[in-house]
Amino acid sequence: MAFALFPGCIARNMYPSIEKSTQMVFKELGLVLVEVKFTCCPAPGVIRSYDFDSWLVIAARNLAAAEEKGADLITICNGCYGTLEAAHRHLSKHPESVAMVNEKLSAIGMSYRGTSKVLHFVDVLDQMLPQIISKIKVELGLKVAIHYGCHYLKPSCESGRNVESPVVLERIVQALGCESVDFPEKLSCCGAGGGVWSGDEKVSLGILDRKMRFIKESGADCVLDICPFCHLQLDQGQKRLKNRYDVPVLHLNQLIGLSFGIKDKVLGVHTHMVATRDIAKKAKRARKESEVEA
Amino acid sequence: MSQDLSESLKEFDLAKCVQCGKCTASCTSSRDSNLRTRRLVFMVKSGKDVSMDKDLWTCTTCYACQERCPKGVKVTDAIIRIRNAAARSGNRPSIHLTAIRSLLDSSDGFPITPDISKIRSMIGLPIAPFDVAHDEKEKERFRKLVSSLPIAGMAKEG
Repeated sequence: MAFALFPGCIARNMYPSIEKSTQMVFKELGLVLVEVKFTCCPAPGVIRSYDFDSWLVIAARNLAAAEEKGADLITICNGCYGTLEAAHRHLSKHPESVAMVNEKLSAIGMSYRGTSKVLHFVDVLDQMLPQIISKIKVELGLKVAIHYGCHYLKPSCESGRNVESPVVLERIVQALGCESVDFPEKLSCCGAGGGVWSGDEKVSLGILDRKMRFIKESGADCVLDICPFCHLQLDQGQKRLKNRYDVPVLHLNQLIGLSFGIKDKVLGVHTHMVATRDIAKKAKRARKESEVEA
Repeated sequence: MSQDLSESLKEFDLAKCVQCGKCTASCTSSRDSNLRTRRLVFMVKSGKDVSMDKDLWTCTTCYACQERCPKGVKVTDAIIRIRNAAARSGNRPSIHLTAIRSLLDSSDGFPITPDISKIRSMIGLPIAPFDVAHDEKEKERFRKLVSSLPIAGMAKEG
């Protein structure tokens, strides 16, 4: 089965550094991707809350586009995963919904068959850990505050994921030669989901503020996410909180890219709102040390 | 509350709720908003109309309540269904209309801006992403698909 990257609209249109880092890391790992033209997933928070069927039809269009190329989808965003995986799961159990979406899709000559799986990139990378380890050029030795976000882990009714004490990101971070630091509220939401990011700034930033306070107190060098929407909240949100925490934010593919020895400016990590220069300096130093050793 | 909504919520097992309050205790949003999940479930079970409750829209859909519910009530899924009913009755935050209209028109809820195009170019990505939004023919097909969806009607009404 081929793979199609589903970048999502935030990675494409707001944090292209995440799209770039993903492309570079996937290439290094030999993950061959087929190109498919997608739309917004669409956003589970707002669109699904307004009208479930409309959300389902647009999601089915994206799934059908991947099916046409015979590809499974790899998402790099919890929101896209939350939409595409949930839509795929719903359709697998509701033939009446399949009939409804296919009636709509037939107007543009498409159809949903359910032949493409929806994967979260964390699961793909976890399966490739030996290859990742073999590509590590620099051990960054960073203290990392892991932020899982919500829709990778939850709802767990079908996936059976360990929601209260997951270990997959800790395993990857450790393999990269970094240390995962513990902090209260580690598994809580960033405050952006459900349409709250755009709908209620006070609530959204209140949730983020509490989380960032604990992250700052943990002494972490950076906060690590697996979702461009969490990334947007953690990075831009810190600016909206008057930058009182100043903790750099990295998507997992950016941390892996830096560990592969790719420069921060090539990955685009320097374009974030919260300055990442301390991380870049550490990466540069580690790169030089590894060159001397070599 | 309409009979239809009440009926459609049955699959989420709200009847099993014993009002233990674990949902409210687990709620990310409750410490910063007036959303009280236990109360919301109680109101629905009592047949009250909750569709005009504006606190409905402060749920981040994080699923903590649903995961922790000892009775297996699908709380978050129920909140999303209630929001659908609320949106149909006119209780829908208008602030989301910009993103919805953008999605319907361009195929992206968050469309690209000139600043981001510059960043894309600076870091060696094609200025225009490989997507439906930058393919006029595909975009037209997408517009045709969404024109008959209920959400297009809501976007038009405002």
